[in-house]
Amino acid sequence: MKKMLAVLLSVFMVLSLTAIAEEAVEITLWTFPVGGWSKSEVVDEILANFNEVHPNIKVTVQYLDYQSGDDQVTAAIEAGTTPDIIMEGPERLVTNWGAAGKMLDLAELWTEEAQADINAKSPAIVSACKSPDGVFYEYPLCMTTHTMTINKQYFEQADALKYLDEETRTWTTDDFVSACRALRDAGFIPGIVYCGGHGGDQGTRALAMNLYSAKFTNPEHTAYTMDSEEGIKGLTLLQDMVKEGALQADPAIVAGDEIALFCNGTAAMSFCWNAGAAETNKASLADNVTSFPMAFPSDDGVPELCGGIWGFGIFDNKDEAKAKAAVEFIRFVCDDVEQGPKSVYATSFFPVRESFGDIYAGTDKEDRAEFAIFLPFLGDYYNVTSGWTVQRAEWWNLLQRIFAGGDVAAEVAVYIENSNASIK
Amino acid sequence: MQKTMQKKPSAKGVEKVTPYKVISVIILLLLSAFFIFTLYWIITGSFKDRQSVIAAKPEWFPSNPVLDNYHSLFEKPALRWLYNTVLICGATMLLTCVSASMGGYAIAKKKFAGRNLIFTIFICAMALPKQVILIPLLKQMSFLKLHNTIWAVILPNVGWPFGVFLMKQFSENIPDEMLEAARIDGAGETRTFLEIILPMIKPGIGALAIFTFITAWNDYFMQLIMLNDTNTLTISLGIAKLQAELSTDFGLIMAGAAVGSVPIIIVFLIFQRYFTRGITMGAVKG
Amino acid sequence: MQISSKHSMRMARRRENISGYLFMAPSLLFFIGFVIFPMGMCLVTSFFNYTMMDFSFIGLKNYSEMFADSVFIKSLVNTIVIVVVSVPITCVFSLWVASLIYKMKDVYTSFFRCVFYLPVVTGSVAVTVVWKWIFNNYYGLLNYVAKNLGLISTNVNWIGNSNTALGCIIMILLTTSVGQPIVLYTSALSNVDKSLIEAAQVDGATNLQTFWYIKWPQIMYTTLYILIITTINSFQCFALIQLLTSGGPNYSTSTIMYYIYYNAFKLSRYGYGSAMGIFLAAIIAIFSALQFKVAKTDNG
Repeated sequence: MKKMLAVLLSVFMVLSLTAIAEEAVEITLWTFPVGGWSKSEVVDEILANFNEVHPNIKVTVQYLDYQSGDDQVTAAIEAGTTPDIIMEGPERLVTNWGAAGKMLDLAELWTEEAQADINAKSPAIVSACKSPDGVFYEYPLCMTTHTMTINKQYFEQADALKYLDEETRTWTTDDFVSACRALRDAGFIPGIVYCGGHGGDQGTRALAMNLYSAKFTNPEHTAYTMDSEEGIKGLTLLQDMVKEGALQADPAIVAGDEIALFCNGTAAMSFCWNAGAAETNKASLADNVTSFPMAFPSDDGVPELCGGIWGFGIFDNKDEAKAKAAVEFIRFVCDDVEQGPKSVYATSFFPVRESFGDIYAGTDKEDRAEFAIFLPFLGDYYNVTSGWTVQRAEWWNLLQRIFAGGDVAAEVAVYIENSNASIK
Repeated sequence: MQKTMQKKPSAKGVEKVTPYKVISVIILLLLSAFFIFTLYWIITGSFKDRQSVIAAKPEWFPSNPVLDNYHSLFEKPALRWLYNTVLICGATMLLTCVSASMGGYAIAKKKFAGRNLIFTIFICAMALPKQVILIPLLKQMSFLKLHNTIWAVILPNVGWPFGVFLMKQFSENIPDEMLEAARIDGAGETRTFLEIILPMIKPGIGALAIFTFITAWNDYFMQLIMLNDTNTLTISLGIAKLQAELSTDFGLIMAGAAVGSVPIIIVFLIFQRYFTRGITMGAVKG
Repeated sequence: MQISSKHSMRMARRRENISGYLFMAPSLLFFIGFVIFPMGMCLVTSFFNYTMMDFSFIGLKNYSEMFADSVFIKSLVNTIVIVVVSVPITCVFSLWVASLIYKMKDVYTSFFRCVFYLPVVTGSVAVTVVWKWIFNNYYGLLNYVAKNLGLISTNVNWIGNSNTALGCIIMILLTTSVGQPIVLYTSALSNVDKSLIEAAQVDGATNLQTFWYIKWPQIMYTTLYILIITTINSFQCFALIQLLTSGGPNYSTSTIMYYIYYNAFKLSRYGYGSAMGIFLAAIIAIFSALQFKVAKTDNG
C-alpha cells in the first residue's frame, strides 16, 4: 500500500514537474480580420517572436472573415471544435459566447496593474470586457473609435467645406444636411446608407444615433432604446434625406461595398471608417478622392462615437495545459513591453494600455495620429447588451423597411420589440 | 450563322429554312453569347486593377492588365483549396457509385421483403434540401469527430438516395432471363453482379459519376457548415471568403472564381464527348 | 413432394431476402446514418426550445410560432415561387433549345451543348459572385449597358429592390440549371425512332402533331428525370441567396432553406430551425411522391 502511494506520488511529481518545464503544447488561434491580424506575414512574425520565448508552444492560426466567421464559430461551438484562443471584440467574446458559458475567466491576466493601466485609457474598455456578473472573458489589445470620412475634393467643389469644422473634425446635424444638399446639387452622390447585411453596421448606428443624440441602449445595457423621440427623429431625418436625394440608401450593399464606392469617387463620404480602414484602403483611393476623417454629425456638435475594442478570449476546451499555454500567449502578445506595442501596431489601431503611449510616432504609420483626435469622443460601449446578434440582424432589416418607405415609428417599434425579446 | 442555316438542310437533307428557324437560331446565338459572357467577365475581371474593376464605365477589356489579383490570391493556399475540392468530389463520386449501383440493382431485381417501402422512402427523401437536417448533422459529425474534416461533407452526400433511384432505373432494363441463365450456370451473387450486371449498367454509372461530381463541386452549403480550417477549405468557400468587411475587391474575387472554374471547364471541354454521352445514356433510356 | 417444393420456395425467398439486403447494405447504411437518423433527431429537437444556452421541451410551440411568423410565410411563398417559376421554364426552354440543335451538324450541336453547360461547370459560387458584380448598382455592367441602350434612365438597384431581387435570383438560377436538361433532351430527341417520324410525315402529320404523338411519349422518361433534378436544384439554391442578397431586401428573397440557416446560425435558434426543416421535409416528400406518381402514370 505504502509502495503504491509512493509510486503514485512520484508519478504526480514528475507530471507536475514537466508541466512547469512547459510541455510541448499545440494551441489554435482564430482571428477576425483586425487590421493586419488578417495577414499571415504579420501574424507569422508575431508568432516567431512568441516562439523565441516559448519554444514549446506551437500556435496554429486560422483567419476568419466577418462574412461567415460567426457561422463558423457557431458551428464549431455546436460541434465542439472551438479554437483555444480567439481574437475579436467584447460583443462576441463577452456577450455572446461568454454569456453562453463557452469562455474561460481571464482574471489571471487582469492584474491590478493591467486594470489600472487600461482604466487610465478609458473605464469603458474595462467594463466592456467584463460580463454583467463581473467575469472577464476578454483581454483587450487595441481600440479605436469608428468615424466616418469625407472626400475633401468633392466637398471643395460643392463648396461644402464651410459646413464642417476642420479643426475639431466635428459638425452639427444642420450643417451635415446642408452639406449633403450642396453635394447633391453639385451632382455628387453625397453618401450611401448601406443596409444589405450586418457588415459595418456600427457606421449606420452611429449616424442614426448622433443626429439627435439618441441613446442606443439604456445605461445599464438591459434594453434597446432607439424608439426614443430622438432616435425616431434621427431615423426620420435619414428617411427624408433619402427621399430628397440628399443621401442614398442601398439594401444591396454592406460597408465593404460602400467603402469601395467612396474610394473610387462614387460617393462623397463613407460612414464606415477608422484607422484600420484607412490603412487597408490606402492604395485604392482614386485620384479625385482625398479622405478626410470626420466625426458623425450631431445636433449639439458633440458626437458620441462608437468604440471598437479588440482582444483575446479563451474557449473552454477542458484542457488545462492548452488553457495555460493560451494565457501565456495572450500575456506575451498584449503585455510584453516590447511585443505589446508591436502587436498593436499590426492592427493600425490604438493601444488599450495608457502606458504604451503614442506607438505611431516616427513610424511609417504616422498618419494614424489623425485618428487620435477622435479618441476623446469614445462613447458608451453598448455592444455588450445581451441579444446583440439578434439586434444586429434586426437593425439592417429595420433600415431596409424604413428606406422602402415604411412608417418610421411603427417599424422602430417592431425592431425594438424583437430586439428586446432576445435579451436574457 | 448564315452558314449554319445553309449547311444544315444539306447535311441531313430533311427540312427547309423557315423564318421561324432563322429567328430561332439568331436567338440561340444571342443566348450563347450571354452564357459565354459570364465566363469572359470572370476572366477579364481577374486581370483588372482595383480602380478599373469599380469604374463607373466598365472596361470591356482590361486596358491595363495586371497580375496583382493572382498575387494576392496565391498568398492564400488557393491550390490547397482546389486540391481539397477535387478530393471531396472524387471520394463522394466513388462511394456513391459503388453503393448506389449495388442498391439500385437490389431494388430492381431482388424481391426482398420491404423493398417497396424502402423505395418509397427513398423517393420521398430524394428532393430534400440538406438545410433541413443541418443542425442534427452538425451534432452527429462532431460526435463522430468528423467535423472540420472532408468526411463531414462527403458522407451526407453519399447518403442521398438519388443515386439508388437512378441506378434502379438502369438495372430494371436488364432482362430477367440473363440473371436466370447466370444462375443456371452456377454463378454466385457476387460474380453475377460483377460480370453481368456491372457491364450492363456501366453507362448509368457514368451518368451518376458525373452528376455526383458536379453536385459535390457546387455543394457550397455543406462545405460552409462543416469546414472551417484554412487547410480544409474548398475553393467555393475560399472565393466566398474573399469578400472582406472593409473592402470589396471584385478583381480579387474574380481571380478566385477563375481559379475555381477554369480547371474544371478545361477538363469538361476535353472530355465533353464522354461527359455528355455519359449523362445522356444514363437518363434517356428508361 | 409438395412439402419439399414449398420448402425450397421458402429457401429461395430467404436467399433472395439475404442477398437483397446485402446489396442494399452500403446505401442503406449511408442513407440511414446520414439522412434518416438526423431527420429523426430533427423531429425531436423541433419540440424543444433549443438554443446555445437552453434545451427545454416546449411541445408544439415552435410550430405554432412558425405559422405566425410573417418572415417564415414570406420565405415559404418565395420558395414556392422559385420552384413553380424555374422548373417549367427550365424544362420548356431546354426542350426548345434541344429541338433546335439536335438536328444540326455534330460540331454545332456540341458547341451549343457546351455553351449552355458552361455555368454548370463554372460552379455556383463563381457564377454568383460575377453576377453580383454585374448587378452592382454603381459600377455594374448591367446598368451601364441598359442606360446606354436607353432602356433605363437612372441606375436600377437590381438586387437592392424588392421588386427585382427575386427575379434576378431566378434568372441566375435558370442559367445554372438549363445545361443538364439540354444535353439530356438533345440525345433523347435524336434517339427517337426515325421510321415512326417518317411514317407520320407520310400520313400528313404536322410538325406539332409529330412532336406530340411520336416524340413526346418517347422522351417522357427523360422529362421525368429532368423534372426531378430541376426541382432538387431549385429547392436547394442557397449559395445564390446567401452570397447575393442574404435574403434581403426586407426578406424578399429569403427562402425556407435560407431562413432555417439564418435561425440556426445567426440567431442560434436550433429548435425553431428544426421545426421549419420538418415542415419543409413533409411538403417536399409529398411533392416528390406526387410528381413521381403523375409522371409514372403518364408514362403508361
